[in-house]
Amino acid sequence: MTDTVVKLRLNQQQLELMDRTIAQGVAPDRVSLVRLALREYAAARKAEISTKVPQ
Amino acid sequence: MTQRQIISEFVIEPGTGKAIELLQGQILRVEQIEGGQCADFNCFNLHDYKEFMHCGRTRTVHGFHPTKGSFMWSAPPRERAMLYILEDTVGRNDVLFPRCSAYVYEASYGFAVHTNCHDIQAEAQREYCLTPDDVHDSFNLFMCTGVDADGHAFMTRQTTRPGDHVDLLALMDVLAIPNVCGADVMKTSNFALKPLKLRVFAATEADLAEVPKVPKLASQRTPRDFRNPAIKSDRPLRRDPDYKADFPNTPIVVTELPVPLSPDELAMFNAVKRTDIYGDDDAAALRDLLFSWWEERFLLAHAGAPAIESQ
Repeated sequence: MTDTVVKLRLNQQQLELMDRTIAQGVAPDRVSLVRLALREYAAARKAEISTKVPQ
Repeated sequence: MTQRQIISEFVIEPGTGKAIELLQGQILRVEQIEGGQCADFNCFNLHDYKEFMHCGRTRTVHGFHPTKGSFMWSAPPRERAMLYILEDTVGRNDVLFPRCSAYVYEASYGFAVHTNCHDIQAEAQREYCLTPDDVHDSFNLFMCTGVDADGHAFMTRQTTRPGDHVDLLALMDVLAIPNVCGADVMKTSNFALKPLKLRVFAATEADLAEVPKVPKLASQRTPRDFRNPAIKSDRPLRRDPDYKADFPNTPIVVTELPVPLSPDELAMFNAVKRTDIYGDDDAAALRDLLFSWWEERFLLAHAGAPAIESQ
């Protein structure tokens, strides 16, 4: 299956924050940083759901 | 110095306050004599009264009830730690309520004249040539408050006892102005006005060692950094014909960053994206996810509050 492209709209301040985060070695480039954010954010939500006590 | 040395002592009677020059490294103790008395508190940089303690900044950093271990911060663009709460035997202070004022007592209780914290502060500050317009929102010591279910701030009675006190350590030279809260027809001070004791000490080495280090940042600006450092000396506002707007970081320019998502990544995204807010705008939802993740992973403070840990 092919990739789906989402076109993020970011201003220069948001890009600066991303670039400073990348400079810390968190990810190699902007796209990788977004993908990392997605994986970690989704994993955290999955963990939240799995630890919830059923009503 | 291992023992605190008393520099001065005062008693502020009901209906009064006192402006005190509190130098860096000195401690102001505000102490209950009978118990059950709220003290309102203002504070200015002794060498530049335009820098003053800001309850909004302080509550953003420390919450609605700052206590031992909290700082009192000055307003932007200074944003410096002015005082450190070294001791607080009660642990219930307030930065939600503004000072009470003559208007409150006239509008709600029908008084033509009534003791009120604004006017008491103004009279105490007049000793240093400040005007009633210079009184700022007060840090309310010993005031027991909260927020009710519909979002209104409320006040209730306090349980302070004789000898209960708050110690404020000056981190810069300040004019510190505590006053006996003028509210005797509210719960604030249990429906009675009582005197308070003030004592100024020289801090010991141990006192000074208790203060956590806070960052010194370029954004903590002083008049040296201002485009217009002069204090305006008249009251009317008139347009400066030479004014040219120079807002930082403008113009804001938006660029596109195409992010290819694999089928697995797209499934992950679809499971967590905030369609309740962004509908079918996946770009906005992914941007939200990116910066929400950043906050969770990297932010050292509550969102919107400045981090005060020294790096």
